[in-house]
Amino acid sequence: MTQKYRAAAQDDLIWHDLDSMTLLYHRPSGITHMLADPAPAVLEVMEGHSLTAAEIAARLTATYEIEADIDSEDIVLARLEELSGLGLVARVTG
Amino acid sequence: MGEMHQILLKIGPAAFRIASAWREPLDQLAALYSDYPAPADQSVDFTVRLEPEKPWRRFIRPSVHIGGDFWLPDAAPLPLKQGLLAAEMGMNLQMALGWRRHLLLHASSVEKDSKALIMTGLSGSGKSTLSAMLAEKGWRFMGDEFALLSLDSGQISPFPRLISLKNEAIGAMQKIAAESRFGPEMNATPKGDIRHLVPPKAAVERMDAPARPALLLFPRFGHAPELREMGKSEVFVRLTQASTNYVALGEAGFRALTRFVDQVPVKAMDYQSTDQAEAMIRDLWSRLP
Repeated sequence: MTQKYRAAAQDDLIWHDLDSMTLLYHRPSGITHMLADPAPAVLEVMEGHSLTAAEIAARLTATYEIEADIDSEDIVLARLEELSGLGLVARVTG
Repeated sequence: MGEMHQILLKIGPAAFRIASAWREPLDQLAALYSDYPAPADQSVDFTVRLEPEKPWRRFIRPSVHIGGDFWLPDAAPLPLKQGLLAAEMGMNLQMALGWRRHLLLHASSVEKDSKALIMTGLSGSGKSTLSAMLAEKGWRFMGDEFALLSLDSGQISPFPRLISLKNEAIGAMQKIAAESRFGPEMNATPKGDIRHLVPPKAAVERMDAPARPALLLFPRFGHAPELREMGKSEVFVRLTQASTNYVALGEAGFRALTRFVDQVPVKAMDYQSTDQAEAMIRDLWSRLP
């Protein structure tokens, strides 16, 4: 089965845009994260859903009119793994 | 444990009890803080204790261990001659580790026209010396160590402790401030030569009056004069590093700091002399909105 991911609940996050970066304050951990593109966009398109990397890549392509290429799913997967390491994304089991 | 002497001090919003096994550092503190009010109802936020490292060392080569409500296990004891420095370091430590009513920025601050100039940077950047110098030239001194950023109003509250002058700054300030305002010179301390300077009277009289932050500078001494823009992301990171209680304050700290970074103009300022810095600051100040 393909791994699905779910973003941290929106109520747990405070977003703040700085010039080139996005700050995310994660209430449960009290940690401030500083994210560069496309990580904030990945979190944004996930909303409250459990999604695979391919589904997220498709949503990014549609939302930001980015040209889909063969690497986009790999890029999203790499960002998802980083975000799950930070506790901002969870791997959905079952 | 032998008898402890004590003194109560109020500096800006914080009240301290300094308890000491020896009279000498407290007498020095009492003289230097003579214009400061006593805490209103004898209640204090923090206690600093200056105690002998070992009981017998009260008398034999006395060595001062800094203790208190908050302390660092590896803080090296100081010789009794540096007891005043130990007391000042102890007060700083209590603020850095224990204060929760403001976001603490390791920065100096001065005020003019109800607006605050905040200067932050690494040790040796000159932020303390610049605040001391500006305080003799028409600015109100608010603090040389901590700028207290209100979590609600976004204003900066003063914390006008004694000004801690180091090395070359001692001679520079002796040229413009009266000798009666200086404490004893302490040589070869862990921070080099140190001499404390009592802030100008206006700083103490108005130590409860906050000011709106109007300009943040990152001064850097010893480089050709230059002003540089800084990105907000870099400023935010530098300020979290300059804050001793950002993490402890949680969401309130995040909101206060993001608001500060969004609203306050910032410049990196290289300079080679305090006169040069003063001219650059005067020019920047005149162009503020």
